[in-house]
Amino acid sequence: MNLRILVALVQKDISLYFKNRFFALITVIGLVGFIGVFFLMPKSVEENLPVGWYAPSLPEAFTTRLQGEGLELTLYSSEEALRTAVLDGDEPIGIALPEDFGPQLARGETPRAVLYLRSDLADEYRDAYLLLMEELGFMLAGQQLNIETEEVVLGQDMAGQQIAPRQRMLPILVLMILMMEAMGLAALLSAEIETGTLRALLVTDLTVAGLFVSKGVTGILMAFFQVLLLLVITGGLQQEPVLILTVLLLGAFLVTGISFLIAAASRDLMSVFGWGMLAMIGLAIPSFNILLPGLATDWIKGIPSYYLVDTIHQVINFGAGWEQASTNLLVLLAFSAFFFGLGIVILRRKLQ
Amino acid sequence: MNLRRIFVLYIKEIIQGPKNFIFLFALLVPVVLTLLVTVVFGTYLTGQSRLGVVDLGSSMLPQLAGENQALSVRSYPSAGALKDAVERGALDMGVVLPADFDRQVGANDLARITVYIWGESQMQNRLILGSAMVHTMRKISGRPLPVEIEQVTLGQGNNVPWEKRLLPLIVLMAVLVAGTMIPATSLVTEKVKRTLTALNASPATMLDVFAAKGLLGITLSVLSATLTLFLNQAFGARPLLLLGVLTLGAVFSAALGIILGALAKDISTLFATIKILRILLFAPGIVYMFPEIPQWIGRIFPTYYIIQPVLEITQNNAGLAEIGQEFTILIGLIVVALGIITGLARRTQDAVAAA
Repeated sequence: MNLRILVALVQKDISLYFKNRFFALITVIGLVGFIGVFFLMPKSVEENLPVGWYAPSLPEAFTTRLQGEGLELTLYSSEEALRTAVLDGDEPIGIALPEDFGPQLARGETPRAVLYLRSDLADEYRDAYLLLMEELGFMLAGQQLNIETEEVVLGQDMAGQQIAPRQRMLPILVLMILMMEAMGLAALLSAEIETGTLRALLVTDLTVAGLFVSKGVTGILMAFFQVLLLLVITGGLQQEPVLILTVLLLGAFLVTGISFLIAAASRDLMSVFGWGMLAMIGLAIPSFNILLPGLATDWIKGIPSYYLVDTIHQVINFGAGWEQASTNLLVLLAFSAFFFGLGIVILRRKLQ
Repeated sequence: MNLRRIFVLYIKEIIQGPKNFIFLFALLVPVVLTLLVTVVFGTYLTGQSRLGVVDLGSSMLPQLAGENQALSVRSYPSAGALKDAVERGALDMGVVLPADFDRQVGANDLARITVYIWGESQMQNRLILGSAMVHTMRKISGRPLPVEIEQVTLGQGNNVPWEKRLLPLIVLMAVLVAGTMIPATSLVTEKVKRTLTALNASPATMLDVFAAKGLLGITLSVLSATLTLFLNQAFGARPLLLLGVLTLGAVFSAALGIILGALAKDISTLFATIKILRILLFAPGIVYMFPEIPQWIGRIFPTYYIIQPVLEITQNNAGLAEIGQEFTILIGLIVVALGIITGLARRTQDAVAAA
């Protein structure tokens, strides 16, 4: 392999890539768009239920206790002020307890409480608030059930420190950018196969191994630098940067192999688009499981991209280190090497 | 234009079409999107808190809890299966009920239960599920509510679920992907492969070719949009009027596809142009998704006049009188587009002949 020829080929491929209007456009728009999507998404999770509250007869200690149990109480000075707040949309619901609420309960009477609900409140929230309100009544009446509960929290307890939607999106964005690049490289290769320039290159001093190394380097460089830029801008490199860079490099390696396969299966840009979309949908499934946990069971581990997005998710959102990520890294390396090798074999067969 | 020649070309398009990826893509888009929206918004993105139950006896708790709309309740055969579902985040909370649980609660004997909580479950879900379980147990024990609750609903607005908010966007995608992309890609492919030059040598005029490709786009667009409405059970009470509006929408999107196909030099240029235009074409659907955005903004975009009548018919049972204004504007847009196509047909015929 001649290093000078390899560098010249990589330069030529990158220049050709940006000459394709579609892929040049989606590279730039895609990157800017994905970064925009990240910053548009909420940076925190509102995990408490907001409630407008008017209860002059209840001790402050009781109200404070409720605040810490998943409710976000906003106190109002009068029932009218509470009603106005619900009507204006400042509160989804309002709970108003009469001034003699406590004494009535103490006398064994049934006091009347008012639950103000905004008309556009979804049915499930309406039922949830009613449930809470009724349970609050039992609590205030001091009626406890004779139940002993053993609570077991499975996984890291994230109460009060939930992962923001934008942080959950980051692995998806990384995968999308990697796949866009895979489609771009596949389009480039497919065009070179169709026009015969790849075969023509092999007539020169370039060996078959050199040809694939140059294409591989082009693909990895293009994919790696874009996801690197995304993570630098979005702050994804703040934890374990070397580990994240390693994962990104392996991810770029994986999609380059997949792009070889897409190129081998395609005849023109349209079929690159078709096969590319199919690959993109398949590889994106594990990242949706990060956005909506519980979507899939263990079969998801059969998809190579699982080890890429899961490692990024674990490192960025749960502070995992090399030790926790080692198994994922090894499997990802194995998958990447397999797809890269398979891609070369099939593409080589197509060239012969 | 010659109708017989258009028909022959149309049949050729139907035979050749399925070999093109876009053809299948256009038909699959509404099905996949509908399934995705149903799965994601119908189950995973509802405000419901998810409870799993393993009942070692025959408790009424799962049934009573399931009656509450705030909860999504699922039964599991074993504690292991329940624990696994909680661990991977399929449930917010899981509870194992002992064999004689209802009797213990009813007799106020000490009942012991194990509750598994998913670590990433939000505080509000934990609160709702905790309260719901205790509340259901109180129902089982038969204790009366010590407080009388009066519910007062304030305001005029209605809750629009996300499945409904997304429907216009899905219908627009169905109409536009099939209607626009199929004629456009077909035309560009014929230009690139030079089969358009061969066609130009035949008695068929460029307008015949455009009409045949447009007809295929219209057929698939109407088919795709009808399929979307059918899958979303949103056909409404006036199917004939709906079909008429969908056909006009399909004609407009096919005309747009012909214009794009006639102007684009190659597939790369076409896809890049569609990518840029996409936000303008789908804008009315996006505006509809967020009621906080002033809804008049949607009227700026031409595709508003496709989707608004469809929504009026399917969701409000509107008749021709109610959608008359949008209907007229849509016809006007089609006339303008057809005028442009006539000019482009002449230009393309000259360009192909000169090549």
